Order: sequence, then structure tokens, then C-alpha cells
Amino acid sequence: MVRQARSEATRSKIITSAVELFNEIGYPATGLGDIIDRAEMTKGALYYHFESKESLATAIIEEGSARLSEAFRSITSSSAPALETIIHGVFVVADLMSTDQIARSGMQLLRAFGEFNDAAARTYGGWTAEMTECTRQAIDEGDLRGDLDAQAVGETIVGSMLGAELLANATTAGADVLQYVAQTWKVLLPAIVSQESSSYFDEFLAREALRHSAETVAD
Amino acid sequence: MTEQLDRRADTTRLQILRAASRQFARKSYSLVSLDDILADAEVTKGAMYFHFRSKHALASAIIEHRAAAGRASVDQLLARKLSGLETLIDISYLVAVEDIGDESARAGLNLLESIGRTDGLQGDIHGQWVTAFAAIARKAIRDGDLIADRDSDGIARLLVSMYLGLRQTSNLAEPERFLRDLEKLWVLVLPGFVKPERIDYLNQFIKRRTAVAMKRATPL
Repeated sequence: MVRQARSEATRSKIITSAVELFNEIGYPATGLGDIIDRAEMTKGALYYHFESKESLATAIIEEGSARLSEAFRSITSSSAPALETIIHGVFVVADLMSTDQIARSGMQLLRAFGEFNDAAARTYGGWTAEMTECTRQAIDEGDLRGDLDAQAVGETIVGSMLGAELLANATTAGADVLQYVAQTWKVLLPAIVSQESSSYFDEFLAREALRHSAETVAD
Repeated sequence: MTEQLDRRADTTRLQILRAASRQFARKSYSLVSLDDILADAEVTKGAMYFHFRSKHALASAIIEHRAAAGRASVDQLLARKLSGLETLIDISYLVAVEDIGDESARAGLNLLESIGRTDGLQGDIHGQWVTAFAAIARKAIRDGDLIADRDSDGIARLLVSMYLGLRQTSNLAEPERFLRDLEKLWVLVLPGFVKPERIDYLNQFIKRRTAVAMKRATPL
């Protein structure tokens, strides 16, 4: 029992150190030796948990995307209408991407590995499936237009939000990702929201964007 | 070994609480007899007295149990980081849906009315609600939805009273009517503390919550 807890602590220490280094000098420039130094560990301890730098990266992708999925799910499992939870959920996830080191590093690795890594394919696939399901519900509830293809909308939302995060990272080191997300929604929503719900969602989005910019000032 | 015994005792305790909730959700405190509960829970009188000294002790345990569950749901809602006022509205609908369809929620609130008044439990639990709601109302003031000089404790007390009163004047056995009455109350009280320019949006927010709650609420 004690040994298991210690081993878990070692593993997470390695992950934290790797994430720090990947964030500081990037994945390609980071050697396993650097990680061992940073974590103040023996080579044996590292190899006990991870057989290669790539398996370490896979673990970070999995851990990071699990955190993001969990945050999204905690919002969408609420009793609110589906489109409200989709919009709010995306803001919460985007916020986590810029504040949670492991989530952030996971996203970067996800992009770096993309098609070459099973964990990456699984993650993207899982997100689109979940978003498609939420979209279908929002169509049923009448907030999204009835003639839309749920799958296409789900993919478009995930794609454009990932793009917004990428753009924010490339231009401002992720600082105002929420602003990019708000902008993306502003363009996307009128294309998919039903006529009856459109003025409500204009306001909903404005409040959401305002709240997130206020939070960064207030907290 | 003791761990196993503990677990069995916990199961029995839960079984009794569940059976008692079923009874108290449907009948008033004085009309429920311990024998009804024993028969429903399928436990012996001895087992029952091992866990609860009296009907009153059992009823207090249901109230406490429910209050803890309520606090957990509110924490979960707060973690969603909606605006303060939206959170308050969501809490009221969450409580209503559980009150309509969940035995332990219904029993907890029924008992709070009947036995809570005499032994101080009511004061405690209503006090906890008022404190929690007042904190959220202060957030709503910071969010800019509420008129700044309104008294957050007063708003919190009004909202708690509004819900407890609604339980008396409306009918939990008719979910549609109960939820529509809840909506009407919200629409009536909002102008008392919400900035005029925010009211249209919030009225719509409330209507949308009513629609979702109607789909989710199933009567006991």
C-alpha cells in the first residue's frame, strides 16, 4: 500500500518535471536526462514507469485530455439546456487549457504527435463524438436549427475551438484564449442557432464573454 | 472483520433511512408509525433501535442526510462557474425537481416543516441556506446583475421563504403546475433586486429552466 502510493508519487513527479521542461524548452529539445535531473531521480526510476520519451508524452496526453474531458462533462451533465452547456463548457475547457500545466502540455503534444499516436487519435475522436451527442440534443431542444447535421456541427465546433486555442498560443502564448473563443462563437452561433433562440444566445454569449474577462481582472 | 460488520450495519442503516423516507415523503409525521417503517425496511425492531432511538431521531437523521445531499448539489452547481444569479435560479429548479421526484428530498423538506420547528433544526438549516444564498447573491451583485445597494441577506431570506411558501400554496404532485408557479414567482420578484436592463434576458433564462425541469421532473 505504502509502496504503491510512493510509486504513484514518483510517477507524477516525473510527469510534472517533464511538463515543465516541455513548456520551457519544447518537446524535441528535452532529453530524458534533463527530466531525470529536474525530477531528482535515478534513470532506473524513470524507466520503471516510462520506457521512452514517447510513452511519457502519451501519458501526458492522456492525463491532460482526461482533465479537459472531465471538466467538460461536469458542465454538460447539468440540467441546463444542451446548447448553453456546450458554450459554457467550451469556455471552461479553454480556461483550463491556459491555466492547467498538464492540460496545456497535453494539448501541445497532441498537436505535435497528431496522426502518429493512438492516444492522440482517440482523444480527438472522443471529443468529436461527445460534442456530436450534445449537438444532437441541442437540435432536439430546438436551440439549433432542425436541418443541421449533428456530426458536422460537432466536428466544426471542436475544430474551430482547437483552432482558436492554437491561434491564441501562437500569437500571445495562450494569454487571451478566452477572447479568441468568444470571437469564434460569435461568428459560429448565428450560422447554427434557430431563429427563435437567436436573440437569447446573443445575450448568453455576451454575458459569458464578459464574465470570463471580468474573472481575470477580479481574481 | 469489524470492517465487514461496519459495512453490514451501514447497509441496514441506509435501508431504514430509505424506507422511512418513502413513508415520510407521502404521509405526515404523525401518521407514520414505526411499524410501517419496519415492515417496509424488512428489518427487526432490534436493528432499528440499534441505529435510531426513536421516530424523532430517525426523522432528524433524514433531515440531516438531506441537508448534506443538498449542500453537495449546490457545491456541484457552484463548480460550474455560472453567474451568481443564474446559479441561484438553477438551485431553485434543482431543489424543485428533487422535491417533486425524489423521496429523500421530499421527506427531508416535509420533516423540516413538521418537526424542525420545535427542536432548532429548522433554524439551523434555514440559516445555512440563507448564508449560502447570500454569498451567491453578493457574487451576483459583483457580476452586475443585481442592483448594487440591495441587501444580500434580505434577498437570500426572500428566496428561501419563496420556495418554502410555494411548497404550501402549490402542489408537488402536479409537477407542471408547481414549476410554472415557481417560474411566476421568479418573474415577480426579479424586478425587486435585478437591474432593469438585465430582466428580459433573465426572464427567458427562467422560462428555459422551466421547460427543461418539466421534462426531467417525474412525480413520486
